[in-house]
Amino acid sequence: MIEGAKWRRWVFFYIPLSAFVFTLLFPFYWMMVTAVRPDAELYRPWSAPNYAPFWTAHPTLDHITYLLQETLFSTWMLNTLFISIAATLISLFCGLLAGYALSRLKFRFAGMLGTAIFITYLVPQTLLFIPLADVVRNFHLGDTPWALILTYPTFLIPFCTWLLMGYFKAIPRELEECARIDGAARWQAMLYIIFPIAVPGILSAGIFAFTLSWNEFIYALVFLSSPAQKTVPVGVTSELIRGDVFYWGSLMAGALLGSIPVAFVYSFFVEHYVAGLTGAVKG
Amino acid sequence: MTRISRRELLKLSGGGALAARAGGMASIVAMKQAPAYAQSTTLHWLRWNDFVPASDALLLKEIVPECEKALGIKLTIEMINANDIQARTTSAIQSGSGPDVICALNNWAQLYPESVADVSDVAEEIGKAQEGYYEESKVVANDGKKWLAVPWCVVGAQLAYRKSWFEEIGYPAGKFPQNWELYRAAGKLLKAKGRPMGQTVGHTFGDAPTYAYPFLWSFGGKEVLADGKTVVLNSKETIESVKFMAGFWKDGYDEGGLAWDDSSNNRAFLSGTCSCTLNGASIYLEAKRKPEAYATENGTPLWQDILHAPLPTGAAGQFGYHLPMSNMLMGYSRNQKAAKEFLRWITSKDVYQKWFDTQQGYTVGATTIWEKDKLWDKDPVMLPYRTAARAGRFPGYEGPADRHAAEVLSKYIIIDMFAKAVQGMPAEDAVKWAHEEVARVHA
Amino acid sequence: MAVSDVTTSDTYAVSVRRWPITRLLEDERWLAFVLLLPTLVLLGLFIAYPFVKGVELSVTDAKVGVPGSFVGMQNFALLLNDSIFRVAVWNTVVYTAVTTVFKLALGLWLALLLNRNFKGKAFTRAFILLPFIIPTVLSTFAWKWMFDPTFSVINWTLFRLGLIGTRINWLGDPSLALISVIIVNIWRGVPFYAISLLAGLQTINPELQDAAAIDGARPWQRFWYVTWPLLLPVTMVVVLFSVIQTFADFQLVYVLTGGGPANATHLFATYAYQIGVGTGLLSQGAAISLAMFPVLLVVVIVQLLYIRRVETL
Repeated sequence: MIEGAKWRRWVFFYIPLSAFVFTLLFPFYWMMVTAVRPDAELYRPWSAPNYAPFWTAHPTLDHITYLLQETLFSTWMLNTLFISIAATLISLFCGLLAGYALSRLKFRFAGMLGTAIFITYLVPQTLLFIPLADVVRNFHLGDTPWALILTYPTFLIPFCTWLLMGYFKAIPRELEECARIDGAARWQAMLYIIFPIAVPGILSAGIFAFTLSWNEFIYALVFLSSPAQKTVPVGVTSELIRGDVFYWGSLMAGALLGSIPVAFVYSFFVEHYVAGLTGAVKG
Repeated sequence: MTRISRRELLKLSGGGALAARAGGMASIVAMKQAPAYAQSTTLHWLRWNDFVPASDALLLKEIVPECEKALGIKLTIEMINANDIQARTTSAIQSGSGPDVICALNNWAQLYPESVADVSDVAEEIGKAQEGYYEESKVVANDGKKWLAVPWCVVGAQLAYRKSWFEEIGYPAGKFPQNWELYRAAGKLLKAKGRPMGQTVGHTFGDAPTYAYPFLWSFGGKEVLADGKTVVLNSKETIESVKFMAGFWKDGYDEGGLAWDDSSNNRAFLSGTCSCTLNGASIYLEAKRKPEAYATENGTPLWQDILHAPLPTGAAGQFGYHLPMSNMLMGYSRNQKAAKEFLRWITSKDVYQKWFDTQQGYTVGATTIWEKDKLWDKDPVMLPYRTAARAGRFPGYEGPADRHAAEVLSKYIIIDMFAKAVQGMPAEDAVKWAHEEVARVHA
Repeated sequence: MAVSDVTTSDTYAVSVRRWPITRLLEDERWLAFVLLLPTLVLLGLFIAYPFVKGVELSVTDAKVGVPGSFVGMQNFALLLNDSIFRVAVWNTVVYTAVTTVFKLALGLWLALLLNRNFKGKAFTRAFILLPFIIPTVLSTFAWKWMFDPTFSVINWTLFRLGLIGTRINWLGDPSLALISVIIVNIWRGVPFYAISLLAGLQTINPELQDAAAIDGARPWQRFWYVTWPLLLPVTMVVVLFSVIQTFADFQLVYVLTGGGPANATHLFATYAYQIGVGTGLLSQGAAISLAMFPVLLVVVIVQLLYIRRVETL
């Protein structure tokens, strides 16, 4: 896809891409350095002559050890993982079916229902969490992972549904009609023709649903109370911020350990975008 | 003392909650040794994660088993970030379920008078036994008729300053500028040497209000009259204080402080870029805890160069606003009797003593008896904190420390009044703006 | 995954005849009903009640623990005279508009770059997502430190490059504070846009591009006439959701500035939280939250209409 002289490649591709990668990832590099920086260096003002923001001469593993041994970090990771995967699967399942129905089937109230699902997304969580606590209590879900697994879909489903509607719309109707002419039932055309083509869309919806659950803070804060049930964002902030003293190194280590593994997993999925595409459209 | 890791402690407290939920099995097991109460009584106590980790360790490791032994109550202590406690309290009250006892900061108990149990009997009893409460502890937990919470402690706020730097500008050991004029002059000298004073006037729950309110009071400014209705903020005194602050800011303060949060001045002070700042004892105690990490420019341990002093005196006197904490017994709790028994026990002198000792003076007791404790003999640098709470007032002065006071506080109106002036708004306009906002709150 | 694997007509015909349910599902209305059922059940159980409750709160004088009585639109009337509220509205609008424009432009650019073939593609695509993956609370703490007047690595770099002589007070200066918050939001949002749009680009058949290229279309013409129209539905949805999320953003500002200095960075959600939770005036908090509803609704309706128009073209 890249054409023309070499300099054009540099100007239009390599340089902008590097700039993006640098800007987006610089804070992570900086967090990484902070996570291994000894406390004595941590409190050095930027105007000091020996201020070295980009490296440290005496890297230490103390903060990471503290995080792993003195807090329940690994438990929080497992909790978060379980909750996020379950919430994502539920939301994807619902969103996939609903998105298909709303974008490709003709029935009365289709537009209205779509808008109604959408409207639920408009209400801010900062308002919702208070009455939602009522619901969670009535279903006896308090302090269990299910409190989150079942409430996260309330903001994930509208998102997944609408995102997938967008992807479904980009798929030409002819594909489905061909299969129907071949004798396929509606649901078969949906399952075997449309869904495979939409795999990149499904994956990206999944990635976002997962990420939003992974990050969620308010519901996790309000609906869970035992330390062993907490998720990473809540656990880390309630253990490593004490009054006006922040455990910077461990805080940053927690942020990194809590996100880099996810990025690795994503790198496999993202590769699948392309596989899904070439298989479906060209094959 | 055998070392037990926080991780294990957390598991311990997590296990408690688990047992509480399991109900049946746990209560059968508990039945064997629990004498006093219905055997399955469990209590959930929500509090902030303490600045002093040793205090949290003590609560989880010693207090929890002792509580079970003494009262037959299985105690689950949950510690979260102070900023998040109100979100939890609100949803707990609205859904009618949650922690039995919540440790409130400031005057939060006054925000939920309909939702907390009357704990007058416990509070009166403790107060009588321990020579009475500080005024500030009382006004935040008592609505004039009854006690809404049992006062727990007061986090003292004092100026932490660099001994040697103040010596250089003519304040030898132990001396400190006593009034605002002198203090401002000192700030000017220090800032000229690249050692500004540091203070936040940002939206923080600790350092900004504990500075701005006493500053206003010491000039004679106040929000409302004692009737709690007549707003009198727009006064000659207030305008004078705002003008003084705006000038002082340029003269003596680190101008980055507008955006500081509660931890910024700790970092600035520990890094040696700040000569003096209002704070809890956390700067000094942290420096003392890690002497090798924090050093002065001469390479000596920083903690040896730190002293404390109260805020200077103004025309109207010398004041302080120290963060009070109190334990609310929630009205929805099904364990009212046990919870009261627990509050009585945990606040009683012998039990509280253990916790108090681990605090090293970071907090003082809510009752005056703790001024006499031998803890204060240990470290003379901490002495200014001992009696700090005596000069304490709570926002909303001269009116009651009620919901209106809390609204003014949580909207940061007084702080923003100073912040606006520091940013260049004429003092009269800033005060007028703040007066109107406060009046709207009281309308 | 190849389509050809499953499009054998025999299997289809058999199953259609065998199952009565399948015949029912041939009816678009029934199929739609079945497909929508799980969503409706979940949303009905978990969101309907809180939603109604939230609206109800805003027309009462409820406080925490006090149900309150009906007061009509009084809470909203109060807001009209609230100077902090007006500041928050303005901030929110600026915040949303500026970040959305930047996120869309930069995100689209990045998506187009990532859509090409280069070494380490999968890796780059995944790691570009890191700003979005990392819990907001934690990344915001990192930014807070990068903006800290005493420790700012940004100031240090600019100083070393000779671009500034004194430090920049990122979070202390009122207009810079809003800009700082905006920068962090863009940083967080660009990956989201880029990856969604990338997925959109991937569903576009490359043969269309090739055909246009053969017809002699220049690269930007190919983008404008071939790629962009096909990308539009996805783009609109992404923008729609991002606008809503940005409009209701809470965490970032709450952690970075708490709405300060002097309310310069207060948004709808942070102000609503401060009033509703911080002060216990639930009804007013709800009213502030709901006050963003009409604004959002207008944005949403405009976008929805636009999406429909695009579809019917």
